Amino acid sequence: MAEQEEKTESIKRTGRFTLYARRFMRRPSAVAGLVILLLLVLWATFGGMLTHWNYEDLDFASLGVPPNSDHYFGTTDGGGDLYAMVVRGLGRSLTIAFLSSILSTFIAAVYGVGIAYFEGLTEKVGMWVLDMLLVVPSTLLVAILVRSAGGTSGWLWLTIGLTIFGWVGLARVLRTITMSIRERDYVRAAKFMGVRPFTVILRHLIPNLGSVLVINTVLGVVSTVSAETTLSFLGLGIKAPDTSLGTILNEGQSVIVTQPWVLAIPAAVLIILAFSVQMIGDGLRDAIDPYSRSAGKAA
Amino acid sequence: MLRYVAKRIANYCVMLFVAITMTYFLASAFMDPRSNYMSRNPRPPMDSINHALDNANINDQTPVITRYVRWLTGVVTRWDWGKAPDQSSVGEAIVSRMGASLQLVTLATVLSIVIGVSIGVYTAIRQYKWQDRVLNSIATFIFVIPPAVLAVAVVFFAIEVNTVAGSRLFYVTGLHSYQGENFGLWFLDFLQHLILPTISMTLGGAVGYHLTQRTYLLDEMNADYVRTARAKGLTLNQAIRRHALRNSLIPTAQSVAFSIAGVFTGATVTESVFAINGLGRYFVTTIGQNDINGTVAIAAFSGVCTLVGALLADIVAAWLDPRIRLN
Amino acid sequence: MNGFRKTHDTILSVHDLRVNFASEAGTVHAVRGISFDLKRGTTLGIVGESGSGKSVTSMAIMGLLDSNAHVEGRIDFEGENLLEKTDAQMSELRGKRIAMIFQDPLSALTPVYTIGQQMREALVTHNPDMSEDEVRARSVELLTLVGIPNAEQRLNAFPHHFSGGMRQRVVIAMAIANNPDVIIADEPTTALDVTIQAQILDVLRTAQKETGAALIFITHDLGVVASIADDIIVMYAGRPVEHASVGEIFSHPVMPYTMGLLGAVPRPDQAKNARLVPIPGSPTNLVNLPEGCSFADRCPMAADICRAGEPQMEEIGELGVGSETAQAHRVACYRAGEILAQHMTFRDVYGMEESIPSIFADVPREQRQMVLNVEHLTKTFSVSGGGFLRRRVGTVYAVNDVSLDIREGETVALVGESGSGKSTTLLQVMNLAAPEQGSIELFGTDVAAKMSRKERQMLHEKVQYVFQDPMSSLDPRLPIYDILAEPLKVLGMSKQEINTRIGELMELVGLKPDQVDRFPNQFSGGQRQRIAIARALAVNPRLILLDEPVSALDVSIQAGVLNLLEDLQNKLGVAYLFVAHNLSVVRHLASRVAVMYLGHIVEAGDVDEVFDHPQHPYTKALLSAVPVPDPEYERQRERIILDGDLPSPTEKIEGCAFASRCPLYKQLSEEQKRVCDTQRPSLVGGAAGSEGAVSAGFADSLSTERNTDRIVACHWTNVA
Repeated sequence: MAEQEEKTESIKRTGRFTLYARRFMRRPSAVAGLVILLLLVLWATFGGMLTHWNYEDLDFASLGVPPNSDHYFGTTDGGGDLYAMVVRGLGRSLTIAFLSSILSTFIAAVYGVGIAYFEGLTEKVGMWVLDMLLVVPSTLLVAILVRSAGGTSGWLWLTIGLTIFGWVGLARVLRTITMSIRERDYVRAAKFMGVRPFTVILRHLIPNLGSVLVINTVLGVVSTVSAETTLSFLGLGIKAPDTSLGTILNEGQSVIVTQPWVLAIPAAVLIILAFSVQMIGDGLRDAIDPYSRSAGKAA
Repeated sequence: MLRYVAKRIANYCVMLFVAITMTYFLASAFMDPRSNYMSRNPRPPMDSINHALDNANINDQTPVITRYVRWLTGVVTRWDWGKAPDQSSVGEAIVSRMGASLQLVTLATVLSIVIGVSIGVYTAIRQYKWQDRVLNSIATFIFVIPPAVLAVAVVFFAIEVNTVAGSRLFYVTGLHSYQGENFGLWFLDFLQHLILPTISMTLGGAVGYHLTQRTYLLDEMNADYVRTARAKGLTLNQAIRRHALRNSLIPTAQSVAFSIAGVFTGATVTESVFAINGLGRYFVTTIGQNDINGTVAIAAFSGVCTLVGALLADIVAAWLDPRIRLN
Repeated sequence: MNGFRKTHDTILSVHDLRVNFASEAGTVHAVRGISFDLKRGTTLGIVGESGSGKSVTSMAIMGLLDSNAHVEGRIDFEGENLLEKTDAQMSELRGKRIAMIFQDPLSALTPVYTIGQQMREALVTHNPDMSEDEVRARSVELLTLVGIPNAEQRLNAFPHHFSGGMRQRVVIAMAIANNPDVIIADEPTTALDVTIQAQILDVLRTAQKETGAALIFITHDLGVVASIADDIIVMYAGRPVEHASVGEIFSHPVMPYTMGLLGAVPRPDQAKNARLVPIPGSPTNLVNLPEGCSFADRCPMAADICRAGEPQMEEIGELGVGSETAQAHRVACYRAGEILAQHMTFRDVYGMEESIPSIFADVPREQRQMVLNVEHLTKTFSVSGGGFLRRRVGTVYAVNDVSLDIREGETVALVGESGSGKSTTLLQVMNLAAPEQGSIELFGTDVAAKMSRKERQMLHEKVQYVFQDPMSSLDPRLPIYDILAEPLKVLGMSKQEINTRIGELMELVGLKPDQVDRFPNQFSGGQRQRIAIARALAVNPRLILLDEPVSALDVSIQAGVLNLLEDLQNKLGVAYLFVAHNLSVVRHLASRVAVMYLGHIVEAGDVDEVFDHPQHPYTKALLSAVPVPDPEYERQRERIILDGDLPSPTEKIEGCAFASRCPLYKQLSEEQKRVCDTQRPSLVGGAAGSEGAVSAGFADSLSTERNTDRIVACHWTNVA
């Protein structure tokens, strides 16, 4: 009997994720988002091989030419190949966004769940610190942090900056959710049974927050892309010789009339990226979140 | 009520002090005003560089604690927020730019709220109908577009219109260019400058209000008391208008209150794209010029605005919701 | 009554009403053909469990169903079909001719408007010409009618200033504001305490008398309708299964489901004499309905014909009470003929089971081991002001000087209204930490004593807890196997031992061991509570604390869980400390009972003694408020209805906490009243009767005496 139980149990576990997948797949927009995102990642990784231009190369023979068979996306005023630059910039934006989003969700989870679970003074002080960190706009703090970084390590500092000032809001949300979960009867039941606090957090709190964490990580990508673009656009983020979609936009802004493609192409890529991630996030929310309206009955 | 507000303000002052101090040390550690001079060609003599830096109290050869104490003394005793590396006064720079931000952001904020909340209510009442689906898709689309892209797209579009029209209907830089005395022409000129940045900010702001107001109202529409109101003899629409809407506006009013203080701090991206000399652009400039004192002053000013907004939000909530008492 | 009815015509007529909803799982057939005529001035009770379609029926009449509902049939009101009316047309009837009262008074009023504004809206919507003065006068009149004191001042109060019972009165006042012809009350007392329920039922009777309206009273509780309804429709799975006058239904039920509902409920007014007989299975799923009679799967009488097609409502002859004018007795059951011919009763249909004898049956109470001994337990909470600022407003004595003891194999129940401190007492015991004041001893060990982690863990194993709502006490993300393994892992059992133990546990609580790989939401409510009980039993506890273990369950399922608890106790000798507001359940399960009021125990003793001969005026009132599923009894019994609500727990009360609501207090002389106002009564041996019982000296002898017999905390029990 024991064996049989073990077996059925493991079958059931996969069943749960199949269920999530099925609910996710039921949304055409979510599937489209996922496909687009995968294509973008593939393109950012291997797209550079499709051209012999490097993003740093300048083609003085063709300054500011429109898209053609040699320069697929045309060139900038200075002769940079826009295709190579966009591929490189997209890669930068994706790396920064995913790294920073995952890291800040992690910090937020540890901090938010921690202060909520231990209650009392820990929670009070923890909340005060969160409020305090929200007083000064995080854009400003990130900009200060990235200020002294050079061109090559700039993206790393930007990731660090976006991470250490980007988790605050989510930590507040997670604390609020943990506050309601810690009052649930099954958490109290576990306490009554003498289960250790750490086990309670791992077995009951984190899995029940899991959906929120996954969804926020994904949607966090959208806001991080936005923040990264904004900073780079303002000249406060990624700097030459490195490139990101934001810096290309900045470059394109000055030649908006004469070379509109320099602006339009990175802008389109950015919008496609953000929109596809948002679609995935919405789909995940409906698929995983047990409290979502379309969750229905899991049977 | 007053005691509550006083206690709140006291707490906020402590919070603000810690946050500004943190910003000061962060800025001092990561910003290098010396490089402004070092990169000049010809490079000025070391002595004069040090003299200039000392004069602005941003010399990295002075221990940061000493600089901090000196800076703090200046702020507390003389309300002197220090000097930029080019020896100009930070305080004056902020005051002179506040007006531009105010002119720019106020209209966009008002429009965002009015348009966003109206559409939010409109779509919530028509949940799952085509109007809701279409408007929601558009809102989500605009919502994910980075503000820089949005602003640049508006500029792009406006230039196209100007080209087609053959005259300058829209200006894409600054807030004023008319030099004459005629108020009517002056105002028209102001509007021609204002319209594009306002559109780009309103688009972004309105979708935020739309999406949240829709959620708030949908939550309230299913509340039991709406059913009670209908059982009294109100039609569905009356019950929603008189009961659900009233409740759903409480959190919206809070975020409106919160955003009021934000009109002074400006809109960084918009001001940069449209070359408007407001506080948002000043922030970019200070960082670009390694202006430590300017950056800290901006941080302090934004901090005050944020906290004033938070306090306003609390007061508004207590005012609108009888369940909350500030005593 | 019958003669009265004859002179009145039908005001509302429902004909073959059907309601479907689309859901992700498929079409939900919420109502599948209900018909009835409602006559002026009469009361129709619609009884059914959750999912029976009773509430949907009422919402269909009001035209308040969601737009995704598909409605068929006719609802005739004064010759017009309500189903053909638009929302705007219906709004002219709603609140004026047809009014409704909802289940949850706490959420039924708009939080941001005052009571006066909401009353005003009810009046002005249908009488736009009313002047402000008229509105005000009428509002005060209505609020006074429904028993709200100081109505004039209360008009400016907001809903959150009112208790649940008071809010329900406001809702009733709004419902009768325009003298409606029909009032629909959808579980109007379910969310309320039993004493408040009695008040509200009283108000409803008054309201009906004042307006002459017909009343549709919807409930899951047959006891409640017994006293108020003229006719009753029993619904199951969206269909009416039996329709008759109230006397008929209770004295001669025909449909096995009706019998089951009546038989499965313990009676508060009778000592436990037999084991409960549960209706097997769980309520029918409304999405995938079976081919034949929807009750067939749970019915002991089910034959082949029952599974072939659905039986229709058919008239059968009068059986007992009533006359020609009474509601014809109609039943939807193929086997009705046999049941009638053989005069079958609940026992014949469902059979009888014997209880398992208790392993402690032969051991006198005094010789059993003391499992729990609580002495002078006190727990306070500091109350902070609402909103953002958490300022300390006062101290609430949630539990005040409570002493009780439990011995092996017995069940002690704590009863009282919400806010009486019964659940807090349970949690204090479960905390296994030194209480603020007093002491808690488990198996002779003081929980405040210093012990090693190991020893404390051992103590933990001996006490377990079962929560009210199994929906929330089982982690939805864990399969049953992991849920049951949790306490065993704490013990450090090996994988093999855990496997074996889980198999045993599943069988012990009557579930199939091969279901352990399922998740909680794949079980019905009753099954989930069985799992929660299995989890509590996993570590072989000697004491289980039960917090309202059946109140979240459907009536037809409760009996099964109660039987399980009883069997487990008899088999394993485990003791229960048990909190419930349902006094019928208490009487059935408990051997001893303690009645709590505002943190104090006011009366305690053997359950039959306390229920049959209550001495404290509060106990008397509480028991008299419990509805009994017997219309004869209900009509004759004397009812004590308490005034008002529990006083605010922050209020400082010098003397007897109950004095403000005490019916006895009102009859006392001024001098006697002063004693109540100034001296807190102590718990003394019951029926002491002498005035000397008041003296403080008497209290000292308590600790030795209170185990033996009943105790009462009232100065004047002899007066009553």
